[in-house]
Amino acid sequence: MSAQNGNGSPHVELRQVTKRYGPVTAISDLTLTVEKGSFTALLGPSGCGKSTMLRMIAGLEAITQGRCFIDGADVTDLPPAQRRIAMVFQSYALYPHMTVRDNIAFSLSIAGASRKVQRERALEAARILQLEPYLDRRPAELSGGQRQRVAIGRALVRKPEVFLFDEPLSNLDAKLRVQMRFELAKLHADLRTTMIYVTHDQTEAMTLADTIVVLDRGTISQVGSPLDLYNRPANKFVAAFIGSPSMNFFGVDLVGASDGLASVVLPGGRGARARVRGASKPEGAVELGVRPEHFGLTGVDDPAAALPGAVVIVERLGSATILYVDTPAGQLIVQGDGNLAVRPGEQIGLSLVEADVHLFDASGVAL
Amino acid sequence: MTASADLAAPLATDAGARRLAGLRRLDLLGLGLTLITLLAAIVFAFPLYWGLITTFKPEYEIIRPGVALWPEHFTIENYVHVLLQTKIGYWYVNSLITSVAVTVIVIIMAAGAGYAISQLNFPGRQFFWWMILASFMVPIPALIVTHFVVLSQLGLINTLAGVVGPQLIAPVTVIIYKQFFDSVPKDFREAAVVDGANDFQLLFRIYLPMNWGVTTALAIITFIGAWNLFLWPFLAVSSEDKMNITVGITQVHDAFGVSYGRDLAVAMLAALPVALVYLVFQRRVTQAIMLSAGIKG
Repeated sequence: MSAQNGNGSPHVELRQVTKRYGPVTAISDLTLTVEKGSFTALLGPSGCGKSTMLRMIAGLEAITQGRCFIDGADVTDLPPAQRRIAMVFQSYALYPHMTVRDNIAFSLSIAGASRKVQRERALEAARILQLEPYLDRRPAELSGGQRQRVAIGRALVRKPEVFLFDEPLSNLDAKLRVQMRFELAKLHADLRTTMIYVTHDQTEAMTLADTIVVLDRGTISQVGSPLDLYNRPANKFVAAFIGSPSMNFFGVDLVGASDGLASVVLPGGRGARARVRGASKPEGAVELGVRPEHFGLTGVDDPAAALPGAVVIVERLGSATILYVDTPAGQLIVQGDGNLAVRPGEQIGLSLVEADVHLFDASGVAL
Repeated sequence: MTASADLAAPLATDAGARRLAGLRRLDLLGLGLTLITLLAAIVFAFPLYWGLITTFKPEYEIIRPGVALWPEHFTIENYVHVLLQTKIGYWYVNSLITSVAVTVIVIIMAAGAGYAISQLNFPGRQFFWWMILASFMVPIPALIVTHFVVLSQLGLINTLAGVVGPQLIAPVTVIIYKQFFDSVPKDFREAAVVDGANDFQLLFRIYLPMNWGVTTALAIITFIGAWNLFLWPFLAVSSEDKMNITVGITQVHDAFGVSYGRDLAVAMLAALPVALVYLVFQRRVTQAIMLSAGIKG
C-alpha cells in the first residue's frame, strides 16, 4: 500500500518498507512520503506498527526490506546520530542524574561542543520552552509537563531536520495534555520543522497534524487532512477510528445507484439515499455508516424519519447529549444538542442527510 | 439505632479485646526475641572486647590463668612495639595499594563486562554469560595452586601485581552489574544513541552514574574483601617489605616466640580501616551484602 502526502517536496520517505520480527511481519511493503515542514501524525490502534515506522525513520530499528530517505539522502544504513533527527520518547528518557541544563545539552556534550556553546544553546532552548528557572534542577524535581518540555528541549537543541515524537503526551493528565498540545502546535508554527508524531489518540492527531496517516495492521489505511478523514473515510476502519463517539454501522440493501447517488433500504423497510463516489456499485447487501452527530431527530411518525427507535439511555455532557436508541437496525448512538428534551423510554424518529451517509462494501471499502 | 446495630456492638468489643490480647502476646514474643538477639550480640562481641583489652595488658598478665575482664596494669607497650619495631608502615601501604587497585580494576572491568553482556549484541554473548555464571560456582581457594603456578611463570610472585592479579576474578560483581543494567529502561539507551553517544559514553555517562548506589556498594565490599584477604597474599609474597597487613601479623614475634599482646595489637590496627569504612558506609555495606546474596534490595 502506498500513500503520497501532499504536493510539497518530500522530506522523509519510506520506500516499499517491510519489517519482520522472525516469522511475524509487522509492516509490509509500505511507502510513505512526508513533505517538508509538515506536521504528520501516524495514527492507529496499538500494535498497528506506527511506533515501528517511527523507529525505522529514527534508525533505532533495522529495516528488513526497502529504503528510507531523509532530505533526499538514503539513510537506511546510517546510525541514528547521523540522520539529523531528534526524537522525543513517551517516557521522556531524561537522565535522572543530570540537571535540566545537562540533559538539554547532552547531545552537544557528546558531540564535543565547548562548555560555552553548550550553555548558550541550552539556555536558548530553555527560553523557547520557558524552562529557564529550572535549569539547575534534576528531572525528579520537575512536574510531568516540565519534564515533557525538557525532553522537547533536548530534541530542540540539536537543530534537527526532522522531529520524531513517540506518543509524547500519553503520560500526562488530561488537562496538561491539552496545554502541551497547544504548546507543540505553537512550536511547530514557530519552527516550521518537519514533525512526525505517533499517537493512538485521534484527538491529538486531529488537532495537531496537518496530515494524518491512519495505520491498520502494518499497512496504511488512509492518508489525508483531519477533515478528509472525518468527512470522506476511505474504508470502514478509518470511519470507525476517527470521530468520538464512534460511527454507527448497520447492514442495508443497496437497490440502485445513479449520478453518484445510491438508494438503500434500511432495516425496518424505509428507504434512504447516500452519496457514492466509487465506479463499482455492487448491488445487494452493503454496510451503512453514519456518525452520531449526523442523525436528525424527528417525531416517530414523521415522513422524514428513516428509522424509528426507543431511547434507552440519555447521557448529558452539557455541550451535547448522547442518546442510546434501540432501532430495527440495532442499538445506535445519537448525539444531539446539550439541552435536548428527550427522556429514556421515549419513541423518536431518526432522519438521515445523504451527504453524511457512508456506504461500505463487504470488504469494508467506501463506495 | 436498629436492631442489627445493637447486635453488632458487643461483637465489635469482643473482636477488639481479642486483638488487644493478640498484641500483648506479640509484645511478649518481641521481648523474648530482643533478649535472644542481645545475647547473640554479646556472644559475638565478646571476643572483640577480649582482644582489645588484651592489647592493653602486659604479657605476664595475658598468660596468667583466670579471666580478667579489665587490665590490672594498663599499658600501650604492645602498640609502641608494633608501631616502632615492625614494618607495619610498609604493610599498611601495601594493603592500601593492592586493595585500591583491586577495587578500581574490578569495578571498571565488571561494569564493562556487565554492560557488554547486558546491552551489546555480539556472537558468543550467551556463552560468556554462562561462563561467568559457572565461574561463580568455583571456589577461589580451589584454584590457588594453579594461580601460584601461573603467576610464578609470569614472574609475578613476590610482587604487589602478583597479589592483585587473582583477586580480579569477581564474577559476582559482573552478575550484579548485568542485572542492574538490564533493568535500565531501553529508552535511556536509545535517547543517548540518537544523541550520538557511543558505548563507552553510554557506560560511563549513563549506565554507571544511573547505578551509582550499586557501584559504591560494590566498591566498598570489594575493598573490604581485598583488605581482609589473607590466604593469597600470604602465599604470593615472602619478603617482609611486600606483605599486606594481614600477612604482616604473622611476622610479629621475637626470640621468645609468640607475643599475644603484640599480635593482637597489630590485628587491631589491621582491622581499624575496615571498621572505619564499615561505620561510615554501614548502609551501603549491608546493601552490598544483600546484593551479593542475590537479594536485589
